[in-house]
Amino acid sequence: MSKIWQIGLFIWLTLVCIAAFLWAPLAEGLGEYTRILYFHVPVAWVTVLAFLIGAIYSIVYLKTRKIVYDHIAESAGQLGIIYCVLATVTGSVWAKVSWGSFWNWDPRETSIFILLLIYAAYFALRSAIEQEDRKAVLSSVYSIFAFVTVPFFVFIVPRVYSSLHPDPIINTQAKINMDGKMLTTFLSSLFGFTVFFFWIFKRKIDLVKMKLTLRKMEN
Amino acid sequence: MEPIYVVLIIILIIWIGIFGYMFYIDREVTKISKRIKKLETSGNQN
Repeated sequence: MSKIWQIGLFIWLTLVCIAAFLWAPLAEGLGEYTRILYFHVPVAWVTVLAFLIGAIYSIVYLKTRKIVYDHIAESAGQLGIIYCVLATVTGSVWAKVSWGSFWNWDPRETSIFILLLIYAAYFALRSAIEQEDRKAVLSSVYSIFAFVTVPFFVFIVPRVYSSLHPDPIINTQAKINMDGKMLTTFLSSLFGFTVFFFWIFKRKIDLVKMKLTLRKMEN
Repeated sequence: MEPIYVVLIIILIIWIGIFGYMFYIDREVTKISKRIKKLETSGNQN
């Protein structure tokens, strides 16, 4: 990413922070906690995006059998796990102050916990197989099946079961009920976090390629 | 605890997590590029 993009992203995210604290109004019933929305939800969104990219690269690997794509899929999975842990931890802190305890086995908490387990199993699978081609094939197939569960756990389960969690942004009628300023701040944050994710992901791809080059040179 | 402090703690966790991981990747990239350069120069000398 060029310097101009980096500076632009920094300014964009700074403006999002300012808007979240000084410009966007507070939602009824949530009070000051409304501000968490602009950070917690984009992190959860990026989790889904990372797992989706992981599944796409797994498909590409299965089609081309080029090992670099398997490593890129792994990198996307690692980023997905990081963001998923961040969404879980921040959600848990929010739960402590709103519901009285860090963990309540609420449908939203349970579904993200299962998602974490599913992707932890992906890495367990990878570390359990030594032969590289076999590892790549099995983990690619697993990654594709793992992603099939993501929309179910992230978008469907919390809307089917009654939850203590604040209403999803897009409600069960597929509509967004949000104040204009809040929506602008939220979408800006979503965009900023997404671009930031792609920046980190590009760095991860660079790292993967460099590791492969190094391995070739050492052999 | 005041709600605003909870908000700040949550935002801090997110930024520390993301930036922390980004710096870790950057460090890895620097480390590996140094090793590649070292191998390249030793290869050229031979």
